[in-house]
Amino acid sequence: MPLALAVILAVLGVTAVVGIAAYVVDRSTARQERKES
Amino acid sequence: MRPASGSHSPDVGGDIVVERCRVHPRRSLNRITMDLTHIHLLLNHFPVIGDIIGGGLFVLALIAKSDDLKRVSLAVLLGIALIAIPTYMSGNAAQEAIKSLPDSPKSMIENHEGAALLSLAFMELTGVFAWLALWQFRRLARVPKWNLAAILVLTLVSIGLVARASNLGGEIRHAEIRASQGTVAPDPQVGLARAVRRFVTDTPWMWPTCETLHFVGLSLLLGVVFLVNLRVLGVMRGVSFASLHRLLPWAAFGFGVNILTGMLFFVGIPGQYTDNTAFYWKIVMVMLAGLNALYFTLLEEPWSLGPKEDAPLRAKIAAGSAMVLWVGVMYCGSMLPFLGNSF
Repeated sequence: MPLALAVILAVLGVTAVVGIAAYVVDRSTARQERKES
Repeated sequence: MRPASGSHSPDVGGDIVVERCRVHPRRSLNRITMDLTHIHLLLNHFPVIGDIIGGGLFVLALIAKSDDLKRVSLAVLLGIALIAIPTYMSGNAAQEAIKSLPDSPKSMIENHEGAALLSLAFMELTGVFAWLALWQFRRLARVPKWNLAAILVLTLVSIGLVARASNLGGEIRHAEIRASQGTVAPDPQVGLARAVRRFVTDTPWMWPTCETLHFVGLSLLLGVVFLVNLRVLGVMRGVSFASLHRLLPWAAFGFGVNILTGMLFFVGIPGQYTDNTAFYWKIVMVMLAGLNALYFTLLEEPWSLGPKEDAPLRAKIAAGSAMVLWVGVMYCGSMLPFLGNSF
């Protein structure tokens, strides 16, 4: 696999994992906040 | 911390000349290495003692069901996760200083390095969950059970790993411990740091990927930090602090990405950082900015800042200093090749 493609795939993969984790934390906290208010 | 002398310091007594100091070809490098060796000897007690104190307080807080005690223990665990970073990094300089000695036990040093790297990974993970719990305390007034369970397990594992790393570190210079414990057994983690180093430097896509992710993490971190701090300083007065506070986990995840990629750089080629003054400043400012972040996570003052309200002076000072510190971190990071001698 060409180096540039490997770098792009690795960066997109890690960014997606981090983004999904942050999004899940945000949504679950917002849901909990609504429930408590 | 005495800098090593770079010149001959002769005592002349008749024909006898006693050379007190050995001349080192790279004076500045020798001085920095000596300083970092002392810093490692100073810092290496903090992770093990701090983790035991933080973990003990956390268990006590769970038993007593005390939220205040939980907050204190989480802040301690977060602080220890921050201190563990310079402790590990200064260890590499100590390794450089000690490995040239005639009786240097190389296998023990590698044992210690591998165990320290593993314990650092778990301590940083504990720090991430501890920060998330402090953030959840602020938003939800209680921490979800899954996070409390994760922190408990990670803390207990971290205590075990860091105690083992400390014991292995002590064995390097304390023959009396080695004698009482007999021969050092072969360790499965001997090659951990070496394997990570080899993977980072020998895999062609690893370094450019980490560099790119380091910038992605930096953008996440600085984007959110600047938004929050600019609001405290008086920009976007119509927005409450609580609204922007919700973005902080994005900054924390960005910081996590940068710690991970930054540590991979360091483990890959430690020598290009341990003798670089710009890198020292960067790490000092990361520590200070990390402590500064606790102000916005723990204290009531910024949290109670509603729409159209002006922040108190103390909050503005904290916000201004945070921005200066993060710009400083960014500046020192980008200037590593120019102010120091990296790359």
